[in-house]
Amino acid sequence: MNRTELNIAKRTEHTFFVVHPLDDERELKVDTEHIGRMRMTPTVRVCLYALRGYLLLMVGLLGFRVLQLAGAIHG
Amino acid sequence: MSMSLQLREETRTKAPIRVSSKWAAQALTFLMVFGPGLIVMEADNDAGAVSTYVQAGAQYGTRLLWLLLLLLPISYFVQEMVVRLGIATGQGHAAMIYRRFGKWWGRFSLADLLLVNFLTLVTEFAAIALALGRMGVDPMLGVPLAAVALIALVLTGSYRRWERIVIFLCLLDLLWFVIAFRVHPPAAGELLRRTLVPSMPPGGMTAGWLFLVIATVGTTIAPWQLFFQQSCVADKRLRFADLKWARLDTFVGAVFTILVAGCMMLAGNAALVRHFDFADPAKMAVQLGAVLGPFTKNAILLLMINAAVLGTTTISLASAWAYGEVQGWPSSLQKPVREAPAFYAMYGVCVMAAAGLVLIPRAPLQLIILSVQVLAGLMLPSAIIFLQLLLNDKEVLGDRFANRPWNNVVNWTIVVLLFVLSLLLAAQVAAPQWFPNT
Repeated sequence: MNRTELNIAKRTEHTFFVVHPLDDERELKVDTEHIGRMRMTPTVRVCLYALRGYLLLMVGLLGFRVLQLAGAIHG
Repeated sequence: MSMSLQLREETRTKAPIRVSSKWAAQALTFLMVFGPGLIVMEADNDAGAVSTYVQAGAQYGTRLLWLLLLLLPISYFVQEMVVRLGIATGQGHAAMIYRRFGKWWGRFSLADLLLVNFLTLVTEFAAIALALGRMGVDPMLGVPLAAVALIALVLTGSYRRWERIVIFLCLLDLLWFVIAFRVHPPAAGELLRRTLVPSMPPGGMTAGWLFLVIATVGTTIAPWQLFFQQSCVADKRLRFADLKWARLDTFVGAVFTILVAGCMMLAGNAALVRHFDFADPAKMAVQLGAVLGPFTKNAILLLMINAAVLGTTTISLASAWAYGEVQGWPSSLQKPVREAPAFYAMYGVCVMAAAGLVLIPRAPLQLIILSVQVLAGLMLPSAIIFLQLLLNDKEVLGDRFANRPWNNVVNWTIVVLLFVLSLLLAAQVAAPQWFPNT
């Protein structure tokens, strides 16, 4: 429980305390530094493959346009 | 939540504010949390957005207002995910992609973000130069001054000071409502109908119309917004209990931004009904000024500069935060320059390099604008995919912050829509002959 919650919990009948996030105690957050990489579930795998396909398609499209502008491809 | 926790170092605290009612406590808490949502949304109404919305109005009148209404929930749902991720982890988006998807995807996302952000910054300064030129101010003087002011804005070592100034700049956009009123918009009933009922242009769907639809979507939802808001939420150290207020902040920001965008379309519509040839918003300001008076002209030009300034500070920060997080540098607006020199240097380099490029005579600005569109098309779907996967990552977020099934239905629909539109936009830019304008 952070300070805001503590203060609200400890409020007297008609008194509430509000703390700006930057003035409050730092909260305990998830340790993302040591948790490692995401598990490759079927959904994650499909999404990353779809993304690779999309990127390859886009790069191909751009390459086609560059070659067209350079006069190597007509049409 | 099945997660390991880490205790962060204690920081300075100030005395809490005492109020006498629960309502006042909640209102005050909201005001303290308020900021990142409004800023990220309104800063997205940057120079490129002003140009796109005004052009949409100048070409199709009020016939694209319905699209803005459609984009309101889309932009809210996308940014709400970032808020949850930022509050749950206290980390930026770039750092999360790096850690959960590995170095390859991390470097790809970061490089793409930095490149598209830099090119967008160039367009922001190009707009500043254009508007200053129309106001009779030499861009060779005005652009460097704007760059110096933008750097000074972040150097105070206080997140709150930066946030208050930027919120003030966001609220200056209220002037768009005055402009929309002064240009004599269509009747309220007509506006309501155009907003609620999708309509096509008189000549039917053309490549030009499709391009503007896609550009409007791409302008309203930009990749840098994901990175910016998550880092901003982390830098502001929003707490778990702040989530509902951060959501409200984001919703208020989305509504405000869409309303301002609608006003920009109405300004463009004023040019259409007066049969002006539309070239750019600055020229339109001069044309409208000749009819409606110098206030309208100067207000539109100043709002163009304001939009570019907002875009520049937020996009540069998105880059500086993202790069700093991945490099492990201290990256916070709360830190003085001596404690986070690399973070501030990154911000300064982004601003100065973009401003310098604009001042080079015959710089390829048209090529840069096209590159922004193509790279944003590449960037947005990948950024959204990573976001959606991270929000389903219960190992990190647990049940409290992870997506609910209904979130996933909504968000996957948005992902597919953005994928298709981004692909169409990039294809249209890269291979325009596939889209005959008939």
